[in-house]
Amino acid sequence: MQNEQDDITQLLENSKGNYQEETKAESTQLQPRIQIFKKFAIKDIVFLAIMAACMLVTGGIMPLVVHVPVFGIIQLALALQFSIFPTIGLMKVRKVGSVFFMSLCCGIFFAFMYLPMFVCIMICAVVTELINIIIFRGYEKDIAVAVSGAIYFPFTLPLLYVYYNFLYTFNGQEGEAVNAFIGANAGAAIGISAAVIAISVLGAFVGYIVSKELIRVGVMKK
Amino acid sequence: MAFFKKKEHINPLMAMFVGVTILIVGLIFAKTYAASYFLSGAYVLLIGFGYYKSCIRILPAFIILSAIFFLAFYYGKNSLIAGVTMVNRLGAIFVGLIPGMNIEPICMTRSLNQLKVPRAITLGMLITISFMPLLREEIARIREAMKTRGAGNILNPKVFYRAFIIPFVIRLVNISDTLALSIETRGFSIESNNATTYKKETINVVDVTLLLLVIVGVVLLAVFK
Repeated sequence: MQNEQDDITQLLENSKGNYQEETKAESTQLQPRIQIFKKFAIKDIVFLAIMAACMLVTGGIMPLVVHVPVFGIIQLALALQFSIFPTIGLMKVRKVGSVFFMSLCCGIFFAFMYLPMFVCIMICAVVTELINIIIFRGYEKDIAVAVSGAIYFPFTLPLLYVYYNFLYTFNGQEGEAVNAFIGANAGAAIGISAAVIAISVLGAFVGYIVSKELIRVGVMKK
Repeated sequence: MAFFKKKEHINPLMAMFVGVTILIVGLIFAKTYAASYFLSGAYVLLIGFGYYKSCIRILPAFIILSAIFFLAFYYGKNSLIAGVTMVNRLGAIFVGLIPGMNIEPICMTRSLNQLKVPRAITLGMLITISFMPLLREEIARIREAMKTRGAGNILNPKVFYRAFIIPFVIRLVNISDTLALSIETRGFSIESNNATTYKKETINVVDVTLLLLVIVGVVLLAVFK
């Protein structure tokens, strides 16, 4: 009797072990491969282009502030809209290359307003996409979208510093631009940079909240 | 010959090139008095080449802004050249904008298609530029609706979020869905390599003359700066 019970217990444990191994093997087989790069559909392109148009229209203030000699004034004027709309765009089109596409669509028209900003925006889009691929491997997670929306625009700050330092001219002497834009009031430059980062984070948060609300009520579909 | 045939507008790519050239050259030489002559010459040239409406349209904004910047920098730095530099920089931006303002989105798309630019990019650019007037209308409509409902002051963040941002984004999503559907139902494909261009954008003698005159201006500026 005791032997029979032992046999049954042994049998049950064996079958349980086999079942666990089988399920593990099945789950390994069924686990979807993470596809980082996905093709854009027409609806993706249309939505991203509309987001780019929003960025372009709200960014129309840029030509008026580009020559105000305060470091980061352009970013301060554009940070909110350049974090809200990319975040909304990414919440709907969760594909690698979305930020780059939006930047290209609005940036090409920015080239007429202020060429360095076009270059800065394109570089920032590439950097944001690369960071996203390395850390999150795509925009599937909400945190990836929020982080990308928040870091996208503040990246223009160091690039613009490089521009002021090496390319911009101010009354004929390169390098004086840094004095005019930064050196004269370094505290203000640091303060504005911090404000730009804060506004970008806030904008990404607002974009995320808006998108979540629209997804919840069924207006926006991923 | 197509090269000597009369055209309604300047070739879009040529117009873009001319605009960007004026912008870059104007910014590079902004610190010189010669840049003022170059920009004035470019402005007159663009009037002569049919951009007179855009030239007149930008004038009030340019005068007001350049006056503000000139006075601020002239009195702030106590230097005439500092004020002139700022006026030149603004002038470079405004004059550089003129050719771009007159480009028809569809003409631009055709030009890019001829250059075999991916259709996804040309479609995106076409939508971006065509959508801008529509966007202004939508904003005006939502603000009107806010007034009708008595939603409150738009500067209040809660009102701004609930009564402006949410309806605005909902409208954008709806427009996007409708537009995408209408493009797809008409059989538009972004992957098709066999698509042709309905009307080809050509370069003619007027385009080349404009470009040459701008290049002559740049050379003169570089020599007499």
